[in-house]
Amino acid sequence: MVEIRNLKKRYGERTVLDLPQLTIAQGETVALAGANGSGKTTLLRILAGLIKATAGTVETPEQKLYMPQQAYAFRGDLRRNIQLTRADRAEADRLLQQLGLDHLSEKKATSLSGGELQRLSLCRVLSQDCALLLLDEPTSACDAAGAALVVKAIEAYRAACGCTVVMSTHSPALALHAADRLIVLNGGNVEADGAPEAILANPETQWAKSFTAGWKL
Amino acid sequence: MLFPPDKELLQIIGVTLRMSFFSTVISCLIGLPLGALIGSKSFRGKAFLKKLIHTLMGLPPVVAGLIVYMLFTHYGPFGRLQMLFTVRVMVVAQVLLITPVVIGLSSSFIESASKPVIETARGLGFSGVRTAALCIREGRSSLFSVVLNAFGRSIAEVGAVSIVGGNIQWKTRVMTTAIMLETNKGKFSFALALGIILLLIAFAVNALASFIVKEHADG
Ligand SMILES: Nc1ncnc2c1ncn2[C@@H]1O[C@H](COP(=O)(O)OP(=O)(O)OP(=O)(O)O)[C@@H](O)[C@H]1O
Ligand SMILES: [Mg+2]
Repeated sequence: MVEIRNLKKRYGERTVLDLPQLTIAQGETVALAGANGSGKTTLLRILAGLIKATAGTVETPEQKLYMPQQAYAFRGDLRRNIQLTRADRAEADRLLQQLGLDHLSEKKATSLSGGELQRLSLCRVLSQDCALLLLDEPTSACDAAGAALVVKAIEAYRAACGCTVVMSTHSPALALHAADRLIVLNGGNVEADGAPEAILANPETQWAKSFTAGWKL
Repeated sequence: MLFPPDKELLQIIGVTLRMSFFSTVISCLIGLPLGALIGSKSFRGKAFLKKLIHTLMGLPPVVAGLIVYMLFTHYGPFGRLQMLFTVRVMVVAQVLLITPVVIGLSSSFIESASKPVIETARGLGFSGVRTAALCIREGRSSLFSVVLNAFGRSIAEVGAVSIVGGNIQWKTRVMTTAIMLETNKGKFSFALALGIILLLIAFAVNALASFIVKEHADG
């Protein structure tokens, strides 16, 4: 379970996150949406314990894993990248296969394309158990097929360990297909919170409107 | 005297290399982990600590020599060890001089280049020590130049080693102190020859190092 109370994050004078009260139940899968700069990464990093909130309390399970927005390739091949987590070789190979990277397992991770690297980054995270899985835009660099593999892998992982998942995204499709709940942030505040279908069907948030209204730049 | 090289010259080169090697190894063993920790963590007093390290990076060698001399002199706290005027105490003085340089250079490198490594490693739940080790591993070619810098300083240093080593023939005389002595005696050509050998050694070490780094550049 995740419990947030009176959470504020400020950078200098600017408040980039302001969440009076937010609870996420154990086992829930939450999609976190909102425009660029709305505070998604900031919230995930606070939940991951990478940065501290300026005020308020945040309760999370001990065991948590966080996949950053910017995927990083460690030295060495793909298999070694995963085995940094002390996962065994069979587990690394299983994950590579699951994310469609098995044909690259002996390639250097630094040579991967953006979408491939993002999937490797997910493999690395999923090679350990946790109670809270935090993913920052896990499909942002993937093509449609790659995104589908990512969604399947996350679902299989959750089914196996029963963890809570919080993932940010700009993709309504990901929110619809992979999440039970959608939280839309706007300027650091919660603008909508509910079933993804409901929020996307009756767009009242700026974020949802921008999709239903189409491109009007 | 240089061709064929005489016994004394070879002995001086030997002492120089031994001293520089151990000073470099010890200061890197202390300095690299500390630099990685300081660079990868944020904590209270970090800004002050960095100022302190930067000040120590500019510690004049003769001051370091004086401090070590006072520590190891007969009546000093470590006088019983009877280490003054040995190669060992020269290494101690060198470590005092070089370690801050290693900490300073490696911590600012880690700080700037290791953000994504830290973010990823912490996200995977790795400990602070493990994260620091990964930062070193990922940035090893840049950190290699820190090690070279340490070696370069050590082999070129003269102030501290002449104070604590005493420039004793057959014992603690190194290239730099020998050059100083020969210059004072007016034997410029021999001093110059020694200087050229010193440069050649520095060049050879650098060439070897860049070869190693290239070998592992994207390994
Ligand atoms: N270290 C920092 N110092 C100052 N401001 C910051 C810092 N980190 C984030 N911010 C600000 O906080 C706001 C929220 O940033 P955040 O990264 O959480 O946005 P986001 O919702 O993840 O955006 P995106 O969709 O682009 O990933 C941004 O306006 C950003 O400029
Ligand atoms: Mg973000």
